[in-house]
Amino acid sequence: MAAALPKIVDPPAFAHMIYNYRLLPGPLVNLAALVLPWIELLGGLALVLGLWRRSATALIGALLLLFIGGISLNLLRGNSIDCGCFDVSAAGKTREERLADMRFVVLRDVGMLLLVAQSLWATRRDEPEPAGLAAPAPVG
Amino acid sequence: MSIKKHLAETLTLIAAAVLCALIANALARSERRLKLPGDYPNALQVPAAAAATPAPAVVTPVPSAVPIATPSTAAPTAVAATAARPAPTAAARPAPPKPDLSRFAPHKDKAYVELHGDDVAALFAGGALFVDARRSQAYREGHVPGARGMSPWEADVDEKVTQLVNEGRDMQQPVVVYCTGGDCEDSHMLSQKLWGVGFENVYVYKDGWPDWQKRGGRVERGQ
Repeated sequence: MAAALPKIVDPPAFAHMIYNYRLLPGPLVNLAALVLPWIELLGGLALVLGLWRRSATALIGALLLLFIGGISLNLLRGNSIDCGCFDVSAAGKTREERLADMRFVVLRDVGMLLLVAQSLWATRRDEPEPAGLAAPAPVG
Repeated sequence: MSIKKHLAETLTLIAAAVLCALIANALARSERRLKLPGDYPNALQVPAAAAATPAPAVVTPVPSAVPIATPSTAAPTAVAATAARPAPTAAARPAPPKPDLSRFAPHKDKAYVELHGDDVAALFAGGALFVDARRSQAYREGHVPGARGMSPWEADVDEKVTQLVNEGRDMQQPVVVYCTGGDCEDSHMLSQKLWGVGFENVYVYKDGWPDWQKRGGRVERGQ
C-alpha cells in the first residue's frame, strides 16, 4: 500500500518509470501505469482487512514475479533504470548506482516472494487460517 | 470449486482496480492525468547507451562550453550536421543586434538535431522558440524565459502542440526543446511530436536545463 500511493498520486511519473523498462508496447504503458498501483493498493487492503486473503496473496505474488522478471531482464541487458517501486521521481543516480539498486530490489522482492509462498502454503487447507498465521505485508 | 472461487475473487480485485484507476484518471488535473492509449513509439527500444559507455551521442560537433551569463550574440560556432547551408533570406531582419540564425537551417528529413549550450545561447539570443519538455511542476519552478511548457507525459500535450501549430508560426523557424539533460529523453519524444505535426527545424538542447543553469542563463518562474 505504501508503494502504491506515490504512483496513484502521480501517474505520469509512474508511466515514465514503466516506459523506461522498455517491456511494454507504447499503447499499454499508460494503462499499466494507471492500473498496477490500484491492484497493489486493493490487494494490500484485502490482506490488511483479512478479505479474500489467499486470492489477494496470490495476486501480490504475481505482481512480485512481474517486478522481479522486469528488473532482472533489464539487468541482463544492461538497461539501468529507477525501479519506481516506492518512489516515482527520478533519483538522478549514475548508471552504476542504478544497476546496484536493481540488484538489491531483485533480492528484496525474492525475499518478499518467499513470504508470499509461505503464507499460501500455511493457508492451503482452510480459507480462515489457524491463529498465528499472519499474512505478509503488502509489497510493491 | 476452490480454484474457481479464488479466480473470481482475483478477477474482482483486478476489475475494481481498473475501475478505480479510470475514475481517478478522469478526475485528475491535466498534469496528473494520462491519456489512453499511450503514444510512445520507442517504448520497446532499449537505449543504445544502456549497454555501452555513457558518453553522450551528439549529432552536432560543438566546441567547448562558453558561459552564457546573458544570452549573447556570440559568433555561431557550429553547423548542424545534417543541415544544408541556408538561403540568406531569413538573416536579413531589421532588428539590429540579433545574431545570424541562418546556419540553423530547416532539416525536414530529420526529426531533430542535438545541440549544446553555445548554439542554444545563439538561438535564444536570436529569438528562437523554446519548449520545455519537463513536467509542469518543474516548469513552474523555473524555465528558460519565454519557453512554452509541454511535458510528453501529461495528458494535455497534444492539445498544447495543436495550439502551437494553430498560432500560425513559421514551421521553418528554429525550435529548441529541452528537458533535464543526461539521459532524459523527454525532449527527444516531444521533438518527434513537433516534427510529426510539421515543424521542420527542431533542435534538442542535449544538456538541457542543468546546463542552462550552470551557464548562468536567465530564469523565468511561474506559468
